[in-house]
Amino acid sequence: MMTRLFPLSLTLALVLAFLATWATAQTHDRPLQPQDAFALTVTRDADGELALTWRIAQGYYLYRSQLAAENAAGESLPLTLPKGEPYEDPYFGEGEIYRDEVTAGLKTAGQPVTLHWQGCQQDGICYAPQSVRLDAGGTVLPPAAEPAAGWSPQEAAPAATPDTAAATGSGLTLAQDQGLVQGLAVRGGGVLVVAGFLGFGLLLAFTPCVFPMFPIVAGMLARQGESLTARRGLLLTGAYVVAMAGAFGLLGIAAAWSGANLQMLLQSPAAIAVVAVLFVALALSMFGFYDLQMPVALQSRLGRVAGRRGSVGGAAALGFTSALIVGPCVTAPLAGALIYIAQTGDVVLGAAALFALGLGQGLPLLAIGLFGPRILPRGGGWMEGAKLAFGVVFLGFAIWLAGRVLPGPLTLALWAVLLVGTAVFLGALDRLDGDATRNRRLGAALGVLLLFGGLIQGFGAALGAHDPLRPLAPLAGGTAAPAAQAPTQFASVTTRAGLKQALASGGDRPALLYVTADWCVTCRAIERGPLADPAVHAALAGLAPIKLDVSDFNAEAQALMRDLAAAGPPTMVFLDANRAEAPGSRLVGDLDAQALLASIGKVSP
Amino acid sequence: MSITRRDILGFGAGAGLTGIAGAAILLGRDAGDAGGGEQIGMDDVLRDPDNPVLGNPDGALTIVEYFDYQCPYCKMGHPMLTRVAEEDGDIRLVMKDWPIFGAPSVLASQLVFGAASTGSYEPAHTALMATQAKLSEDQIRQVLADAGIDTEKSLDAYRAERDKWDGLLARNSAQAAALGLQGTPAFIIGTTIYPGALDETRLRRAIDQARRA
Repeated sequence: MMTRLFPLSLTLALVLAFLATWATAQTHDRPLQPQDAFALTVTRDADGELALTWRIAQGYYLYRSQLAAENAAGESLPLTLPKGEPYEDPYFGEGEIYRDEVTAGLKTAGQPVTLHWQGCQQDGICYAPQSVRLDAGGTVLPPAAEPAAGWSPQEAAPAATPDTAAATGSGLTLAQDQGLVQGLAVRGGGVLVVAGFLGFGLLLAFTPCVFPMFPIVAGMLARQGESLTARRGLLLTGAYVVAMAGAFGLLGIAAAWSGANLQMLLQSPAAIAVVAVLFVALALSMFGFYDLQMPVALQSRLGRVAGRRGSVGGAAALGFTSALIVGPCVTAPLAGALIYIAQTGDVVLGAAALFALGLGQGLPLLAIGLFGPRILPRGGGWMEGAKLAFGVVFLGFAIWLAGRVLPGPLTLALWAVLLVGTAVFLGALDRLDGDATRNRRLGAALGVLLLFGGLIQGFGAALGAHDPLRPLAPLAGGTAAPAAQAPTQFASVTTRAGLKQALASGGDRPALLYVTADWCVTCRAIERGPLADPAVHAALAGLAPIKLDVSDFNAEAQALMRDLAAAGPPTMVFLDANRAEAPGSRLVGDLDAQALLASIGKVSP
Repeated sequence: MSITRRDILGFGAGAGLTGIAGAAILLGRDAGDAGGGEQIGMDDVLRDPDNPVLGNPDGALTIVEYFDYQCPYCKMGHPMLTRVAEEDGDIRLVMKDWPIFGAPSVLASQLVFGAASTGSYEPAHTALMATQAKLSEDQIRQVLADAGIDTEKSLDAYRAERDKWDGLLARNSAQAAALGLQGTPAFIIGTTIYPGALDETRLRRAIDQARRA
């Protein structure tokens, strides 16, 4: 999301303002715009051959040798060209040119083609190479987004050097939106980057991914029982938060050293399994099956030094692992920071920024540590109840996490087990005596509700439903099915050549490039959520959706990602009909249907 | 020293405010100065530190020309341009490589940059600017060799500082795009853009205008 904070329109406005100060000389022979100097029309003759006619303005000429056509795969197609006028000027060297008008014949065999040409104004200017794409029917696709402020199409870039020809091969124009961290570092220096990430962390603290941390911290405090004071509560949460921030910082350092895409690691099913198991272990500890403790030797040693401080280490360990949980949630800023670090090798700044991000996320948690002891009633049965509740929440979180990698019905079945089990412990099935207390009755009522929910989840699992929030969706299939059951069909590619092909067969439709991978769990969530949304589905109908599968993270996949300047999956790049990325449309990380629709809107005509 | 709840609250609130202020400043700055990648200032165009300078490096007026070693009108006008700059004596002449004629042009720029690394920018540049328009890679090597440039050494020197030179080429190209230049030659004299070739009369008039501004 962060990448969208830098709208290109603003950049354009600035360039406009800048250009205003660069008064442009007005002279009578100011060169024409290239499309006016060389106006192309395409007609199709009887036997299907294309006739390409350039009307050349008076005083302008085209180079015969620079007229070329190629298909989507980059293979050059032969043009039938008339003989040109030999150019007499000694400076030109040998060669032929066209004046006034030239018509070239092209057999396209019904495939889309790209035409290239280059020419000059006599004694004036030689234009950068021009090109245009024709669809399979020979229709000229509209020129690249018109240079509102005098931006030339990207073709003006120098031809790839012999040494660097492999740099990009997709023929795409990426928006000039600048990366978050680069922008900050350039403008405000390291201090602003760190302060900014602290702020972003704080904002992220109120996103759903960070919510699980509240029960973790509260659970940690609850286990302290009566000995909990404000100071100790703060000490524990402080240790937790600093350790969490430290884990982010380490991530930054590791990224700088390895240059690898560590996000992949955070999102791997293995990492998710580890965290889910950790939560189950925590939950069982809450239920009193055992006490999670530091090794006795260590504990006693710490105990000798500072009383009952042993669990500070425990809190730190918990905080450190918690960073794994929010990892997948903060893809966008994390990706930005990691990419910057990997590119620049600026370990200190990167690590400091990520540390600040973690710290920002943890600030609200400190409030729990601080006020927890005062707000929470002391001791007794209440604390036991709270522990149990947290245990249930932890289990729920483990299921929620595992749901990203487990098949849908299995997830629903697990929810059913948790809900029914909780309901029974709440006394949903117990008989209430006439003199039952109010609290007991409330508990039973809640229990019955949970039981009901659990049964529905169970039914859903049996019906093969995938979404715990819509467990009975398969039953409603009769009415909702047409929209829901036909997911958008993505063309899947794994190579640059494949991408080129897919883009070509997309014709003149705008395209959505969706970088995804098997191991990307956020991607699964996106596919089940926003991408399955009927409104999104309808909006996508006008686009050529292409899935860039980078599951196998080989050289080709890396080249694809480099071409798109994508940090990793999930990334969505929106290209307009000219295969230029729409400014500010890129989506990185988790997203909602609204963001998706907004970005689709930016490339749809 | 004992930490009181008040201390902690104060610290927490302070840290929180700092974070919020940081985010606000940063968002505000984005809106305010549009932060995109293509923001180009006068100095970026007129005084790119990596670009070799001809004429009088301390001259008060800067003339920038975006050019290509295969562009006929760039080369035709070049002797006149350098003569005018030399006669004037107060002009910094900045020739910005913008290769638009394909691979030979890129090679020409690379070899001249390599020569610049070994202190022979001017002879290499001048030799190539004195050629006819179309150049093959072999012709480029031959012309430079005839001017006493060791092209192998130049290529090595270019490769040794490839980041610097490729960065310069990329900046030139980005500037050309951002300034709306259509092709070569394109001049910037003072703060005015002149697309296309200039004859001596127009060049001198442009210089006068820039001095008056």
